[in-house]
Amino acid sequence: MTMLQTSAPAPTGTVRGPRPARRGAVIATAVGVLLVAAPLVLGAYPVSMMTRMLAFAVLVLSVDLLTGVTGMPTLGQAAYFGVGAYTAALVGVHVTSDGAVQAAAALAAGLVAAAATGWVAVRARGIVFLMLTLAIGESVHQLADTWSAVGGSNGLAGMPPISVFGAALPAAGFVYWWVLAVAALVFAAVALVARSPYGRTLRGIRDNEARMRALGYRPALARFGVYCLAGAVAGVGGALWAAQARFVSPGDLGFEVAALALLSVVIGGSGSLWGPCLGAALVLLVRDSLSAYVGGHGALVLGVVFVAVVFLMPRGLAGLARSRRKEVRS
Amino acid sequence: MTAVLELQGLTRSYGSLTAVDHVDLVVREGERHALIGPNGAGKSTLFATVAGTLRATSGRVLLNGRDVTALPESARARRGLLRTYQHSSLFLGCTVLDNVALAAQRVQRVAHRFDRPARRFRRTQARALEHLESVGLAGRAHDLVSALSHGERRQLEVAMVLAAEPTLVMFDEPTAGMSAAETERFVTLLEGLPRTLTVVIVEHDLDVVFRLADRVTVLHLGSVLASGPPEAIRADEAVQAAYLGAARTEDLFTGGAR
Repeated sequence: MTMLQTSAPAPTGTVRGPRPARRGAVIATAVGVLLVAAPLVLGAYPVSMMTRMLAFAVLVLSVDLLTGVTGMPTLGQAAYFGVGAYTAALVGVHVTSDGAVQAAAALAAGLVAAAATGWVAVRARGIVFLMLTLAIGESVHQLADTWSAVGGSNGLAGMPPISVFGAALPAAGFVYWWVLAVAALVFAAVALVARSPYGRTLRGIRDNEARMRALGYRPALARFGVYCLAGAVAGVGGALWAAQARFVSPGDLGFEVAALALLSVVIGGSGSLWGPCLGAALVLLVRDSLSAYVGGHGALVLGVVFVAVVFLMPRGLAGLARSRRKEVRS
Repeated sequence: MTAVLELQGLTRSYGSLTAVDHVDLVVREGERHALIGPNGAGKSTLFATVAGTLRATSGRVLLNGRDVTALPESARARRGLLRTYQHSSLFLGCTVLDNVALAAQRVQRVAHRFDRPARRFRRTQARALEHLESVGLAGRAHDLVSALSHGERRQLEVAMVLAAEPTLVMFDEPTAGMSAAETERFVTLLEGLPRTLTVVIVEHDLDVVFRLADRVTVLHLGSVLASGPPEAIRADEAVQAAYLGAARTEDLFTGGAR
């Protein structure tokens, strides 16, 4: 058995397999070290900025799981992100300041919300699916905007600072580390799903759903499953967002957030996992920081970036790295 | 010898055009059954209707004695009825190994597991590689399907459908686009398949047909013109007129799109 395993894929495996993998591991470690060390050298504002980027990246991961891996472009994930953020804030205000409890509650809320709304959406495909998710997103946004129990259009304020395992976090840097740890955990989980047999099933659905049926699959089941999973991931992202901002408003789950998340996936390269995370950081950087330097025209810059990406690198940042690797190889 | 597949008055119409017209057919267990007929005879429509891709207008499809006419394609596939496509229908963005593994993991009931990476599901990987080897594609396991040649894709299609462990396979023009060597390999592979597997094959290459088939059914204008052992079909005058070589060539295409 083991003989077969090691010898069979040898022709491609030994020649070029390990090298990019090892380089990938080196880069991943370097990025990890830099991310962990960031609060030690950066000021309070950049750190809070990076915290938001990480939370947003988790949302973008959930969009990528649907759009890139399963081939279901969506504008509805901001809704579950918002459900998670509101849940975490409510838990923070009324129950406990424990960050882990808040994240777990947000995960469950995102999952339940996605399961309750997703069974309608996953019946559709392509542009119809996109419109249905948009409708879900707008409905939830409307709900948050009018429901007085969650503060209506004023948003939900007064969330106490989070604690982790009973200990209060003394500085912004500690919140950042908490968010980083949870985001890394979510990234690992999503990466595992993408590489698992289930991930293979999802890619099969993306590439050729009719053929999946001909092989005996029930694609609707797998589509619903990944929709719920993505809802849970987005929910956790919402909890992380709330942990940093300690304030949730309807704007956090509006169309703009949904569109930016989808934009991040396109810029990063759909289907790759690290690409969209990088895209998420870039998009938030342009929207929140660069915008001030270009007279508040951040959206315009993002529009230009979007057009440039579509024309110059249709596979996004991840595609850029892939083609470079090919050149090195040949 | 029980009937694996039985068609009773199977009909499929597109508006006023009846592409498959009251077809009765029995395919027995272990049989190598060839379906031939000129272009537009309704072979592909018949395949799609039997597989469940298309709904039957009337008539019944019995699989192992059970009526599956109302079942969708995926349910028929889970009951062991698999088909290939005339034009390769693969997962172009996935690796060659993934394509075959998709079929294998469904049969092994691990298609929805995400507790560990796919490569750690040794049984699925081994089975997929085995099937790739049988069609000579093991060396390309980690390439993207979009990098394969037309003939290689045809081979992959065969590996994929066999990895789904069917009891009945329907090949729709499997050798179309294969090189002579690839065709030879395909025929040898088919000859080597166990007799627990039943094969229905649509094929234009009559050498392949008469080499493989135990029974041949000739379809013409949507209905069965003749059905019997290869020698009888070769000798049948109506078949010769319709397909194998008509005295007047225009007769060849009376049922065709041309």
